[in-house]
Amino acid sequence: MNENFTNTELLIRYLDDELEGEQLEAVKKSIAENSAAREELENLRLAKEAIKSYGLKNKIGAIHTEMMRELNKNVASKKGMVKNIFQYSMRIAAAVILITGLSVSYQYFTASPGKLFDENFEAFNLHETRGAAVSPLENIYKNGNMQAVIQQFSTLTDPQPPDYFLAGNAFLSTQQPGKAIQAFLTLQLRNKTNNTHYFEEDTEYYLALSYLINKELPRAVPLFEKIHADKNHPYHKKISSWFLNKLHRLIPAGE
Amino acid sequence: MEIQGSNADLTLLQTLRSDTNIDEAVRHLYRTQFKMTAAYIKQNNGNDEDAEDIFQEVVLTFIELVKKNKFRGESSVSTFLYALTRNTWLNELKKRGRAKLRDEKFEKGKDTTNINVSDYIINREMKIQLMQLVNSLGETCKKILLAFYFENLAMKDILKLLDYENEQVVRNKKYKCLKQMEQMMTEQPNLAKSLKSILLYE
Repeated sequence: MNENFTNTELLIRYLDDELEGEQLEAVKKSIAENSAAREELENLRLAKEAIKSYGLKNKIGAIHTEMMRELNKNVASKKGMVKNIFQYSMRIAAAVILITGLSVSYQYFTASPGKLFDENFEAFNLHETRGAAVSPLENIYKNGNMQAVIQQFSTLTDPQPPDYFLAGNAFLSTQQPGKAIQAFLTLQLRNKTNNTHYFEEDTEYYLALSYLINKELPRAVPLFEKIHADKNHPYHKKISSWFLNKLHRLIPAGE
Repeated sequence: MEIQGSNADLTLLQTLRSDTNIDEAVRHLYRTQFKMTAAYIKQNNGNDEDAEDIFQEVVLTFIELVKKNKFRGESSVSTFLYALTRNTWLNELKKRGRAKLRDEKFEKGKDTTNINVSDYIINREMKIQLMQLVNSLGETCKKILLAFYFENLAMKDILKLLDYENEQVVRNKKYKCLKQMEQMMTEQPNLAKSLKSILLYE
């Protein structure tokens, strides 16, 4: 150890860049020529670096604590956000399921022939028919004047199958299901007798609807089941399993 | 100072070299690099505590290397820190006697950075010894030396922190404190040699 206070002090001042002029040159010369001075300066420099490293480590340690709080808070916040979004989504999903369930239950338990009829009935659209037979009722029917169709039908002396079909639809549209049933059954009979197929599948569907609104369920159900079972039937998609379930619920036990 | 954007690395290095806003630079490193380090440590047999300890050491070493111009942006900061982390953790696992396990794991995640940081393997035991050495100085000496060499405060400002009569008294005290440290180094040449390697990176 160098006990020379002045030399050590000069070395420290040299280390701290506080020397200039002759003093600086003298110390530089001493360091260059004196190994003990060089060693002492080296250890002083190490001591200075040790202090700086110690200070930096402590500073990083302090910031570390602060940053871990920040980072953990962010993670917790993100987790919380994800959790909230998840919980919110689950609540919405549960609400949707509940509402849907209630709606389905409501539809099931409040089903009636009238409601089921309204869900499925749509007046036959002559524009969409496949090769409709010529009928004197055709133009009036296309105009949508169902009373006029019925009136015109009553004047026909020899109604043909297409006339019965359009008249049946006119009766059904004007809430005269009994007469509609009569017209459709007559059409089916004429087809059978004459071995023709006028509006055969359309008649099945509208006859079934006529039985439904007329509360003749035991007659309506087999027709709807036949249409539901036949994937090639043009009205197949209109008769769902759900519709049949609701329909079956309306039939009193034993019938 | 905002350290972000495409020049984030450059700004970070300038900030560290200029010693102007070290705090913000350290925060930036935590915000951008800690997650990666923690994931790496935990994937390789470490836990949260290991990740925090290693990251502190890596940040300390990184800053010191930048200040000593040992790292001048030859790679991205992220890549360099990853290499430092990997080497430091490898070294730590070796010391923990889990070399076999380490080899298996580290082979899978072989370093693809092509950065050689083997010269800068952080000797954590020596760092602890360094801390003990400074702590042994006593509170007043630590306060004065830290204020002067780390905080870069002027003597008149250091005087305000202490119960001394004037600047000269503080100056004398500072001299004695530094000399005390120098004396410890002289008496323990092996310690001085080891400290030299971890402090000067030479």
